Amino acid sequence: MQFGEKKILSIFAMVLFYSVIINAQENTISWKKNEEVKSEQLHLFHSTHSINLPTTETHQKGNIEFEISHRFIPTLSDGIDALYGFDGPVNIKLSLGYAVSDYFVATIARSNVDDNLLLKAKYQFFQFDNDVFPFQFALEGGAAWNTDPIGRKSDDNRNFQYYGQLIFNSLIKNKIGLGFVPTYSYNSHVYCPEKQYSFTFGTYLQYYLTNLWSVLAEWNPTVSGFRNKYNSLSFGFELETGGHFFKIILSNNTALNPTQFTTGADLPISLKNMRIGFNITRLL
Amino acid sequence: MKIKIILYLFISFVSIINLVASEFHVKKTEKNSVKFISDAPIENFEGVTNNIDGYLYYEIELTNNSQLHFEVDLRTLDTGIGLRNRHMRENYLETDEYPMAAFSGKIVKAEKLSENKYKVNVSGEMNIHGVNKKQNIEGIVEFIDDEIKITTNFIVKLTDHKIDVPSLMFMKIDENMDLQLSFNLEKAK
Repeated sequence: MQFGEKKILSIFAMVLFYSVIINAQENTISWKKNEEVKSEQLHLFHSTHSINLPTTETHQKGNIEFEISHRFIPTLSDGIDALYGFDGPVNIKLSLGYAVSDYFVATIARSNVDDNLLLKAKYQFFQFDNDVFPFQFALEGGAAWNTDPIGRKSDDNRNFQYYGQLIFNSLIKNKIGLGFVPTYSYNSHVYCPEKQYSFTFGTYLQYYLTNLWSVLAEWNPTVSGFRNKYNSLSFGFELETGGHFFKIILSNNTALNPTQFTTGADLPISLKNMRIGFNITRLL
Repeated sequence: MKIKIILYLFISFVSIINLVASEFHVKKTEKNSVKFISDAPIENFEGVTNNIDGYLYYEIELTNNSQLHFEVDLRTLDTGIGLRNRHMRENYLETDEYPMAAFSGKIVKAEKLSENKYKVNVSGEMNIHGVNKKQNIEGIVEFIDDEIKITTNFIVKLTDHKIDVPSLMFMKIDENMDLQLSFNLEKAK
């Protein structure tokens, strides 16, 4: 072996030895980062309702949501004398929803319009998660009992109403929420001698200005069956904070429970006919 | 001949490294607990998860050539209220972009408390919300059979990691988040 070769071999050995010393520790660590990404439940709209119509959103299993909503009956055109509606009278809704699972919510609600008592359930059954157009479907259905109708006993079978809704939601670029809610209501006018039905095709848009503030609008036209004079238009803004949602809205429809709201509005759409309302929800 | 000697030395060295090195990985169990505790004027809340991963490496002694790395998947933090989880993830922790909170460092001091129990001081970097911050942490390392149990409790200042402190009504929380961790490691296989 030549001297030059020996020298090269020694240098090679030293480089190898020290590189082993330097890298030995790192090389011996066998831990690997777990890159598995679990599929998760999609959350599109932030709230369980837009204004009157439901979204596909549910709650975590075991959570309870309380809601109090008002629709002031005087219109904006009643002016300062009626404090633009705040003097009342007012339609009120109170409700409690319980998340039986992450995908299923059961709710009991009461509106003071005919003392309408409602039991309803919502089930989120399909989602398609992607970056461009994520979407989700849910079903909602319920039975309402108008316990204090005018001119007849509360147990009359004409006081019972039923409804079903298919809910489609999407959230585009985390900013624009889009919803379609076709609704079928049975016995949609409790005072008609013959049982009526209504089929409406609700749609709503919500634009999230920030993580907390958003503006929203809802349109619920009747496609067929009974309609209470006019289609319903509502719009307003939403503030979410902690476990709360606050919505301040204007609408030509003062009904609150679904079997009453989806049958339409009593006044035509114009700014002077709009009524002020609010929805407040709180997770207990 | 020389090549044989070099190869012998190389193999011997690697073998020695393997003999003296100890590597433990986080044992995936529901008993692991990572708690983010916040004091709020209206209600205190805890974000809890058992989704912690990582390793502890040392040679012969805890302080000798030690390395450790632990990370927590913040997407799995559960405060008990789904909507609050969502607010925490989307509005403050921004877990879509920064899903992990991680700590990497080394044990700089180990004080023997009993036969299998050590109080250790760890120095390293905490990464939360994509922001690194040097942090010294004190903890207890306990050898139980073939496993190690680590418990620690320390404070993370949210503003150090450029996390907006929620201060809107009903949601005012302290900028100092108390972290309590208790988890087990098992020998790397």
